[in-house]
Amino acid sequence: MLSRQLGAGALRRGASLPAFRQKNALNLSRGLAVRNASTASSSAFESFLNSRLTLVSVSLFTAGSVAWYTHLYGSLPFLAQVHASHASDEGLHPPEYPWDHKGILNTFDHASIRRGYQVYREVCAACHSLDRIAWRNLVGVSHTVDEVKAMAEEVEYQDGPDDEGEMFMRPGKLADYMPNPYANESAARAGNAGSLPPDLSLIIKARHGGADYVYSIITGYVDPPPAGVEIREGMSYNPFFPGGALGMARVLYDGLVDFEDGTPATASQMAKDVVTFLSWAAEPEHDERKKNGIKAVILFSALTLISLYVKRFKWTPLKNRKLIYDPPVDKKH
Amino acid sequence: MAFSTTLYNTFFQRNSVFFSTVFAGAFVFGIGFDTGVTAFYDRWNRGKQWKDIRHKYSETAAEEAE
Amino acid sequence: MAFNGLKKAVTLTPSVRTMPSGVPAAPLLNLAARAPADPHAHGHGASGPRSDVVPRWSGGISRSSSSLVSKSYTTLPSTTPFTARFMHTSVAVKGAPEVPDFSHYRADDTDSNRALSYFMVGSFGLVTASVAKSTVTEFLKTMSASADVLALAKVEVELATIPEGKNVVIKWRGKPVFIRHRTQAEIDEARGTKWQSLRDPESDEDRVKRPEWLIMLGVCTHLGCVPIGEAGDYGGWFCPCHGSHYDISGRTRKGPAPLNLEIPAYDFNDAEGKVIIG
Repeated sequence: MLSRQLGAGALRRGASLPAFRQKNALNLSRGLAVRNASTASSSAFESFLNSRLTLVSVSLFTAGSVAWYTHLYGSLPFLAQVHASHASDEGLHPPEYPWDHKGILNTFDHASIRRGYQVYREVCAACHSLDRIAWRNLVGVSHTVDEVKAMAEEVEYQDGPDDEGEMFMRPGKLADYMPNPYANESAARAGNAGSLPPDLSLIIKARHGGADYVYSIITGYVDPPPAGVEIREGMSYNPFFPGGALGMARVLYDGLVDFEDGTPATASQMAKDVVTFLSWAAEPEHDERKKNGIKAVILFSALTLISLYVKRFKWTPLKNRKLIYDPPVDKKH
Repeated sequence: MAFSTTLYNTFFQRNSVFFSTVFAGAFVFGIGFDTGVTAFYDRWNRGKQWKDIRHKYSETAAEEAE
Repeated sequence: MAFNGLKKAVTLTPSVRTMPSGVPAAPLLNLAARAPADPHAHGHGASGPRSDVVPRWSGGISRSSSSLVSKSYTTLPSTTPFTARFMHTSVAVKGAPEVPDFSHYRADDTDSNRALSYFMVGSFGLVTASVAKSTVTEFLKTMSASADVLALAKVEVELATIPEGKNVVIKWRGKPVFIRHRTQAEIDEARGTKWQSLRDPESDEDRVKRPEWLIMLGVCTHLGCVPIGEAGDYGGWFCPCHGSHYDISGRTRKGPAPLNLEIPAYDFNDAEGKVIIG
């Protein structure tokens, strides 16, 4: 407190040095004398805060440190990152689409899954694998057992070793997983100008924005790219893709696929169906999960309410009990 | 005799009866609740699930449905 | 002496004892303690120290853990001037304690209240039991074989491709399975054997679902080798490892094998002419 008083006095009277010395001595002696009850310093502290000199010196200090930092490092912290980023680098934020399976009570539209499988098989499967889905997973979801068996038998799988120790090819069975279009990652990169087509089993879960994002990517190609955007040969411009340049070209055009149920195969219809199919592939347990969720919410809410009732019921006599002391009456009085 | 008294005398008076009722009731409730939720769920998602569209693709199922 | 001191320090002396006269003495229990008079207390609430504990300032007896150390019977002079209480200010003792009237809150019919309470407790138990049952079943389900294992656990074999009198060996769950399309002569031989006297007595009727199809695990019951088909003394299988002979029904007849060849679970699918093993 003493030093604050001193400082305030010093700042206020800093102009005249001799006077400052005198006042300083005075202040010191007075301060020592008046220490018994400390009351005065707050006003001095306030005047220190409000003083013009403080303002000026703090501003100078700030400007000085900014200038010093800039001199040392060339730029200010955080500013550089702001400058380096552009909205296009993050990709456009996909709009929200009203999926059939959106909402806590809704199942997948299985007819859409079936169409989506057709789109995947005829279009996407040329480049993209679906490692985590086996043929048997389609049974009872989008196809009957016989259909899936027939589809699986069209694909040859390597099996073995047989009695002679040789590997041999056999038609697919229900237990086999979806065939991979490429033998390995290098083959996939070689076939796609260096880009690796990602596995689609979990793509809906693996991308920020989920189904909306994948749908936007499939339908969001802009060709030719807008003015000012340069896209390398072999790449395509897609504003929803972070960075804008996507190794995959637009593949879905109206009428590319003939749906067996007569649904018009517009590009957006196919995209919606294949995204529904991929959502199912990422979450095969989805329908059952939501059903269990309904059950759990109902049961546990009921349990909570009843347990509250029972708790109150058990505690009511304890909390509302009044103990009354009835003193023995002295007969003599 | 009031309903509540009847209820008490029938189920609650003897602890053994009370407990048997609770566990038997839990069994029945489990089945009933499952059925109820499934019925609601199927009704809510009518036409979307595989069982709703299966008859279009499976001959045997179509025959069974008819 | 030192031992006694230690003993005293460790062992607490009883607070109640019987005097030689037979009168119980409990010097630490003060049964006659009274709360200090507080003219501002109107007979309720905590008005001072507990009435059953002697206040420290009132003297009396204090003790340490080892033994009685001090007795003081000094009555301290009051610090306030004593005045006789001429007017009676404390609350008069009432004939009956004043209890608020709860009758408004009481239910008219205690029976329905009782039934409701039991009902709620009962439904609580009911829902809990139901939830617990589901939890346990779901948990136990996680211990069963997963779907991809189950998908591999069944093998379908087309029977039309197996000619009469031929063996086929297929792989099922990592083990060989023998499928034998038996001829009528072989069936007659298998059925004609006196199986009651065999080492592992089993009739051929028990071992096959259809007499022409013999389906069994191709693992020797002795030490797990794979027997050779159409070999051995009995026209069935012969295990090259230790020389066990099986007949045309897969029953052990000779050699160290203790049991007949095992029969897996299988079913015929007539519509497609297949046998499903598993």
